[in-house]
Amino acid sequence: MNNIYLPHLAEIKQIIEESPDTRTFRLAFRDRDTADRFTFNAGQFAEYSAFGDGESTFCIASSPTNREFIECSFKVYGKVTQSLQRLNTGDTIGIRGPYGNWFPLKELKGRNLLFIAGGIGMAPVRCVIENVLDWRDDYGSLTIIYGARSVNDIIYKDKVKEWKSRSDVKTVITVDPGGETSSWDGEVGFVPAVVEKTKPSSENTSVIMCGPPVMIKFTMPVLEKIGFSGSDIYTTLENRMKCGLGKCGRCNIGNVYVCKDGPVFTYEQIRNLPQEF
Amino acid sequence: MTEEKLILKEDLLRICDDVIKKGDTLLAPGKSEYVIVKDVSEIKLDPEALPTKISFKSYVFPKSEPVLYYKRSKNDVTLIDADVNGRKIVVLGAKPCDTGSIDIMKDLFNWDYRDEFFNLRAKHFIMIGMMCKTHDEYCFCTSVGCSPVSENGSDLFLIPLSDKEFALRIVTEKGREFIEPYFRFLCDADTKRTEEVLSAAKNPETAFDPDEVHEWLGRNFESPKWDGIGEVCLSCAQCAFACPVCHCFDIVDEDYSYSEGRRMKNWDGCQFGHFTLHASGHNPRDIQSKRYRQRINHKFRYYVDKFGKILCTGCGRCSRGCPVSIDIKEIVSNCKD
Repeated sequence: MNNIYLPHLAEIKQIIEESPDTRTFRLAFRDRDTADRFTFNAGQFAEYSAFGDGESTFCIASSPTNREFIECSFKVYGKVTQSLQRLNTGDTIGIRGPYGNWFPLKELKGRNLLFIAGGIGMAPVRCVIENVLDWRDDYGSLTIIYGARSVNDIIYKDKVKEWKSRSDVKTVITVDPGGETSSWDGEVGFVPAVVEKTKPSSENTSVIMCGPPVMIKFTMPVLEKIGFSGSDIYTTLENRMKCGLGKCGRCNIGNVYVCKDGPVFTYEQIRNLPQEF
Repeated sequence: MTEEKLILKEDLLRICDDVIKKGDTLLAPGKSEYVIVKDVSEIKLDPEALPTKISFKSYVFPKSEPVLYYKRSKNDVTLIDADVNGRKIVVLGAKPCDTGSIDIMKDLFNWDYRDEFFNLRAKHFIMIGMMCKTHDEYCFCTSVGCSPVSENGSDLFLIPLSDKEFALRIVTEKGREFIEPYFRFLCDADTKRTEEVLSAAKNPETAFDPDEVHEWLGRNFESPKWDGIGEVCLSCAQCAFACPVCHCFDIVDEDYSYSEGRRMKNWDGCQFGHFTLHASGHNPRDIQSKRYRQRINHKFRYYVDKFGKILCTGCGRCSRGCPVSIDIKEIVSNCKD
């Protein structure tokens, strides 16, 4: 019997402490066949098991172009993430997926891309950035605007450093007022204000934006003022999920199932959904 | 074309006895739920009984079932696939408001990803439906495309002609295969008599037009009507558990020792506040009115949009069992300007 609820097993190869409450697992499938067969697109998510405490939904944070390992990043919040946090290198977790739709990176070839990320929303955005950097010649200018609560809360510090050092990527990092340190050389301010200050051009540009709802709410009007239309702005919706397969019935917004029709939506699509998310 | 035969009740019970003797499961409506019949003397076959408190849903979609077993040892985890016992289940005398329920849920359990736990069980069902000769103030099958004489979902369909005889209609190939070994019990039908009985069916009055409801729901996601219901509802989800087609579920791990446990798929309900609660504390359906709106929309709008079917059979169980007398028929009838 083909059991759709049966996860693949993966070993935690490395644990990266990203910030006081966020960590990244570098994972390798226990089974060679699964490792070879497991392919995904940027933006897709998976269900990660901490056996004994259940499953939790996160995006795949590493790039699909990376065939060596996959990574997921999570903030310790609920029962399952607390359980995952207790695991060590060498321990086994379960992975079901990949599920859901993805950012249309192939269709966006030839365009300039503006990445806007806030907090743990950097995880799905990082996946896209790395993917795009591996296909660098296919895209125009790249701009990254990333906001964290404080310097300490910045995740993927090595990646951020790498992006900043590249001449073909414009990288702007900001921390919330009060979150800066004396040696901080980046921006201080909330993401919407920093976007306004950076004034990215909307010409032939698509936006990939993930972050807390409050960030998205206040960044949208700024982007519209600059000249972006709702169909050029891609974001992800997160809802509580159990199955990830369009069956368990809790992630829907109207007749849209976030696990199947999402998690990636354009802002135009979101505007037409019932306001229940 | 459906073939019709005549069968005496005593012969029908002989067939049932044979089903039990073969070791297959025979389900029939009991006092408050469908029960596994051990002895044919328990079978009532009463067309004038109201629907049981809960349907046979748990036999195709169990209240709680393991989907896998896990064993932890030091760093490693071993998974053992859960098995489904796909035994034949013969349902005798199911109401027309129940017979179609499996077909309605089948679409959900099979779009894109196929839930074989459901499928393997559904595949082994033999549905012997029976004409319904009663209704109460909660019944509204005729408003959702069903009726007391609907053969929808039945493999075989019984029409009670008297206390002792039934017309037996062979509706599907599966039904024919089941009844073929018992053809010696079947006599020629008196179709005229059957038609007379069918036309005397007591249809519950049509309460609403589902197309109009669908259209109204599309325009009234925000409506003060939802607030009113939200204030009455206790969020106990009795309605979801009693419903023959509500199918939402939870997936939870259950440890039964330090190193072993199982992952369970359990019935859940959209009326529970925690159903959509995020770990962060955010809840898209944070108040009862939103949850009730979801329930009605899911049944009469979203499911129709997705699968072309109404997620309701009109059995009235949710209303009959509601501790605060919320009547879905009344609410849906009021889904109009």
